[in-house]
Amino acid sequence: MELLRPSSVEELDGGVFLHGGTEVVPLVREGLLRADRLVDVRGVVPRGVDGAVIGAGTTLGQLEVEPAIPDALREACRLAASPQLRNMSSVGGNLLQSTRCWYWRLGYPCRLHGGDICHAREGEHREHAILANGFCASAHPSDVAAALVSLGSRLRTTRRELAVEELYRLPDESDRRTMTLENGELILELELAPVEASVYLKAMDRKRWSFPQVGVAAARLSDGTVRLALAGVAPIPWLLDGEAAPGEALDAATPLPRTEWKVPLARALVRRALAALG
Amino acid sequence: MARLIRTEKEVEGRYEEVWLVVEEDPLTQWPAGPLSVVGRPAERKDAPERVRGEARFTADVRLPGMLHAAVLRSPHAHARVERIDLAPALALPGVRAAIGPGEASGLEEEAGYAGAAVAAVAADTFAQARAAVAAIDVEWEALEAMLDPDEAVRRGLFTAEPRRDERGDVERALAEADAVVEATYRTQSVLHNAMETHQAVCEWVGDTLHVYISTQFIWGVRQEIADALGLPQDKVRVVCEFMGGGFGSKNSPDEYTFVAAELAKRTGRPVRCALTRPEEHTSAGNRNPTIQRLRAGARSDGTIVALDGEFTNAVGWSGWNAPTEGPMRMLYACDNVRTVTYGAQVNTPPMKAFRAPGFVEGTFGLECLIDELAAKLDVDPLELRRLNYADSNEGTPFSSKNLEECYRRAAPHWERRHEVRARSDGPWKHGVGMASQIWYGGGGPPSYAWVRIGSDGRATVITAMQDIGTGTRTAMAQIAAEELRLPLDRVDVVLGDSARGPYASISAGSSTTPSMGPAVRAAAADAREQIEDIAEQRGLPRDAPVEEVVDLLEDAQILGRGARGPNPTGMSVLTFGVHVVEVAVDVETGEVVVERVAAIHDVGRIVNPLGASSQVEGGIIQGVGHTLSEQRLLDPATGRVLTTSLDAYRMPTIADVPEILCEFVDRPDEHLTNLGSKGLGEPPIVPVAAAIANAIRDATGADVRELPISREEMLRALEAARRKERRGAPAAV
Amino acid sequence: MSELRLTVNGEEHVLDVPVGAGLAHVLRDELGLTGTKIACNEGHCGACTVQVDGVPRLSCITLAHAVEGAVTTIEGLRQHPLVDAFTRCDAVQCGFCTPGQVVSAAALVAANPSPSREEIRHAMAGNICRCGTYPKIEEAILTWRD
Repeated sequence: MELLRPSSVEELDGGVFLHGGTEVVPLVREGLLRADRLVDVRGVVPRGVDGAVIGAGTTLGQLEVEPAIPDALREACRLAASPQLRNMSSVGGNLLQSTRCWYWRLGYPCRLHGGDICHAREGEHREHAILANGFCASAHPSDVAAALVSLGSRLRTTRRELAVEELYRLPDESDRRTMTLENGELILELELAPVEASVYLKAMDRKRWSFPQVGVAAARLSDGTVRLALAGVAPIPWLLDGEAAPGEALDAATPLPRTEWKVPLARALVRRALAALG
Repeated sequence: MARLIRTEKEVEGRYEEVWLVVEEDPLTQWPAGPLSVVGRPAERKDAPERVRGEARFTADVRLPGMLHAAVLRSPHAHARVERIDLAPALALPGVRAAIGPGEASGLEEEAGYAGAAVAAVAADTFAQARAAVAAIDVEWEALEAMLDPDEAVRRGLFTAEPRRDERGDVERALAEADAVVEATYRTQSVLHNAMETHQAVCEWVGDTLHVYISTQFIWGVRQEIADALGLPQDKVRVVCEFMGGGFGSKNSPDEYTFVAAELAKRTGRPVRCALTRPEEHTSAGNRNPTIQRLRAGARSDGTIVALDGEFTNAVGWSGWNAPTEGPMRMLYACDNVRTVTYGAQVNTPPMKAFRAPGFVEGTFGLECLIDELAAKLDVDPLELRRLNYADSNEGTPFSSKNLEECYRRAAPHWERRHEVRARSDGPWKHGVGMASQIWYGGGGPPSYAWVRIGSDGRATVITAMQDIGTGTRTAMAQIAAEELRLPLDRVDVVLGDSARGPYASISAGSSTTPSMGPAVRAAAADAREQIEDIAEQRGLPRDAPVEEVVDLLEDAQILGRGARGPNPTGMSVLTFGVHVVEVAVDVETGEVVVERVAAIHDVGRIVNPLGASSQVEGGIIQGVGHTLSEQRLLDPATGRVLTTSLDAYRMPTIADVPEILCEFVDRPDEHLTNLGSKGLGEPPIVPVAAAIANAIRDATGADVRELPISREEMLRALEAARRKERRGAPAAV
Repeated sequence: MSELRLTVNGEEHVLDVPVGAGLAHVLRDELGLTGTKIACNEGHCGACTVQVDGVPRLSCITLAHAVEGAVTTIEGLRQHPLVDAFTRCDAVQCGFCTPGQVVSAAALVAANPSPSREEIRHAMAGNICRCGTYPKIEEAILTWRD
C-alpha cells in the first residue's frame, strides 16, 4: 500500500481519497474497498466555516460547536457517531459513507455488490428502508446528509457544483452505485442556503453513538419553502416531495414486514419537526 | 484437620454430588456490620495499575519469537469438511504451521454452526495468519440446518434430556383458580462481548505447557488442558493476573487455547490465538434465546395456586440446558407447579453461561406474568409478592433469606409510583415497576489460601485465584487484614498463577467471595494463632500488634494455611433482592428511557461496600442493555450471525445509564462459613428486564412480551394495548 | 517498509513500519506502550483512544503514517489527577477499557474543567465499558480535582 500526501488539487492523480479515515480504513481492512494507493487529501480539501461556506474537511466535532451554522446541521453533527469519530471525520466524508446493512458489510453477493438479490428483503431487515426499497432495501445512515439536503445546501467538487441531493442516486439494474461522484472527483466545499429555522430529530437505539433508525431534518428556507429530508428510511437521504403533504409521502411508504414500525415513528418525528419549525 | 465427605457442589444452578476433602471451619463469624476493615469501603488494590494501563492482560503478553494464530471457521450452519488441503496456506510467507480437524481439541470435521472452528494457522504476524486461513483449500458438504427451536423440539433434537418437574396438580389448580393469565414470553440471544477478546498464549517450556489466558477459572483450564493433552496436571501452568471481563464466557479453555498449544508444540515457539471482535460475536458463546409459554392461576385473595411453564432454550449446537424454570419453581410459595424445560439443539452458536444463566430469562417471564396476574386480580404487585412469600425452597429451609426485608426497603421506592405517574405529560408516560430476584451464590469447597508474614509485619495472601474485575483481590486483602488486625495497606494479595499458590474456585456463579473468602480468613486465622503463640512466648500480650511480635523473625516467616469448609447440609443457600424501576415511554415513537433503578440485595455480609456497589451498577447496566438494545441476529437463510460488530450489537454507553440507588441488607448468613457472605456478581442483573417491562406496563398499559424492548416491540405492544382498550370500551349508544 | 516519525508522550521516534499499519498496533508492538488497548480494531468501542494534539481519536483506525500531531497515550497521563480520581471512585473493574476512558476524560477536563453530568455523558459516550463502571466514571470526572 502506498500513501500519498498531495498539497494541491492539481497534484491529484487517481487512488482512493483518505481524509479522516473512519470509513476508508475499516472498509479496506474488511476487503470491501480495494486501495493499493491511498491519497491523503487533508492538504487539499479546505477546512473551516466562512460565512455560508463550509470546507468539506471540517470535522463533525468542529461543526457540533459552531454557533454560526443552522441548527439542523449542528444537531445532526452533535448526535452523529461517537466523540472520537466526530473528531476524526470530515463533513464531506460523512456524506460519502456506506450503508450499515449487514448483508452488504459481510460481503453477501447482494445488489449493491453487483449480485441479483437483495438479501435483506428476503431475510433480516428490521433496520432497513421503508421507501424506495424495491431494488435495494439498505438504509442511508448519514444524519448530516439528511440535514444538508433539508437545508438546500450545495456542494462544490473539483469538477462541478451540485445540490447535495444530486450527490445521491438510487441503485438500479444497470448501475449499482448510490452516489454520483465520479472516480477522482473530490468534494471541496459546502455552501449553505439562507435558512430561517431548522431542526433535526433523531430516533436511535441507544442515547448516543447509534445510527439513525429514523432521522428527520426540517428547514424553512428564507423564501418560506419548507424542506423535509429523512435519514435511515431509504438507500439514500430522502427528500420528501415538496408538493405533497408529508403524511402523504409516508402513506406511500413500502415497508417490509419488519420495518413497518418505522412508518409511525417517521410520522411522529415529521409532525414534531414541523411543529418545532414554528 | 481434613476429612472426606460427600456433599453437593453447585455452580450456576447445576448441582453435582462430589466427594470432597474438606477442612473443618472452627472460626465463629464476626458480628454483623462494618468492622475495622471488612464492611468498610476500600479502594481496589490494583486500581492504579489498571487505570494507568500498566496491568498486563493476556492481550499484552509478548514472548520472544511469539507467533500468531488465525482460525478457519465454517461459513455454513451445518456442514462436514469433505476435503481440506492446508498446503496452500503453508506456502504463504510467514506461515510456520497449520492444523486441521481433529488435530487440536475444538477443531471439528463436522461444523454444527456458522463460526465453528475447523482449522488453524500460525504465522509471524496475524495478518499473515489470516491470509493463510483464507488460502486453505476446503470443500464442504452442506448438511441440513435446523434453526427453529420449536421445530427442533418437535423433532426431539435436544442437547440433553428435557427436564420435567411437577409438584401438586397444576391442571386442577388452574381449573379451580379465580383468575388465570397465560402468555408467551420470548428473550433474545445476547452476547457477552467482554472488552478483552477470548485469547491464550501457549508456550512449551521443556515438557511443561505455560498458558497465559484470559479466563475465569485458572484451575479448570489447567485440568481440562491436562486431561485433553494427556499431561500430568502439574505440567500445565495457567497464568491470569488481569483479565478483561468474562461474564461467564471464559470458564473453559475452548478451541483457541488448544489451537495455540498444538501450534506451539509443532513450531517450538510461543503462539497467541486471539479471537477477533467479529469472532466474539459468532464463536464465543451467548445467552441462549428462550421461548416461555407460561400460565399462572390465583384465588381472588391473591394466593397463587398454580404455575405452569414450558421453557424452550435454543441452546445451539452444543451447550447445556440452563435453568430457565428456576424462578418459577423457587421464588414463590405455590403448591402446584409444573415445568418442562427443553434444551433445543439447533445449528446456531452454542450457548455459554452468561451472568445468571436461565434465571435472567426466566425471571423476565415469571415476574412479568406475576404482574399480569396482579393486574387481573386488581392486587398491588408488591402485595401479591408478599402474599406468596416462600418460607422454604420446596421444603428445604434457606440458610438465610431476607427477601421480606428487601420488600420492606423497596416500599418507599414503590410508593413513589403515584408521583412518578403524575409526571406523565403529552406523549411521555411515566411508570414504576418491580421485580424480585432469586439466584444462587453460596460458593463451596474446595478453595485454599496461604498467608505469609515476615519480619516487616506485612502479610501476603497467596492463592491461585483470578480477579475478573469484581474486586475480589481487594476483598481477600480486607478479610486477611481484619483477621490479622492489620491495616489494609499492609496486606498484599498474590494471585493469578497456578504455579504460585493453592487451588482456588472459579469466578463464576457468584462463587469467588463465598468460596475464597472463608479460606483466606482461615489462613489468616492460622497465621494469627501462630503470631499470638509467639507473642505469649515473648511475654507480650496475645493481641500485641503484629509488627511488634514479628520484628525478630529475620529470615523466618509465619505461614498460615486455610481452606474453605463445607456448605451447610440440608439447606438452600440462595441470594435475594428486589428492583424498583422508573421508566418514561414516548408512546408515539416507542422510545423507552430507564430513569431510576432502586436495587436492594440480600447477599449476606458485604465485605467491600464500594466494590459491591460497582457490581450492582454493572449488573444493572448489563441488564438495561439486555432489555432495550442488545440483540444477536442471525440470517434466517444461512444461520450466519449478522450482528458481528459493536455498532450493530449495541451495548449501553454512559449516556444510557439510569440513576441507580443501591442498598444491601448486609446481614451475615449465620449458617454459611466463617464469613457469612454470598456472591454478588449475578444477582443484580436478574430482575432488571422484568422490572423495566413491568414499569412500562404501569406507564402505558402495554404488555411487552419480548426482549429486547426495541421501538418495534414497544410500538407493537402499545398498539395492542390500544386495540384491547377499544374492544373493552362500552359501545356508544 | 516506510519510515515513520511519531512523537509520543513528548518523545520522538523514528520507526520502520509498513504503510497501512494502525497507530494502535504501532504503539503497542513497536513502542511497547501496551496501555492503549485494542478491543474491536474497527473504531466502535473507544478502548484504543489516544489524543493527537490533545484531541481524542481512535488509534485502531488511524493509519500510523497519517498521524498529524503529537500523540498522547495513557502512559503520558500517569500523573494526571484523574488517575487518583478513578481509583478513589472505584471507576474501574476489569480495567480493559479504562485507559481509553482516562484519555477521553483528560481531554474533556482540559477543555472544560468543571463539566456537568450531561456534558460528561456526551463526551464519554464513545468509550464502551462492558463491566458498567459508567456511574463511577461520572463521579470521578465530577470530582477529579478533589
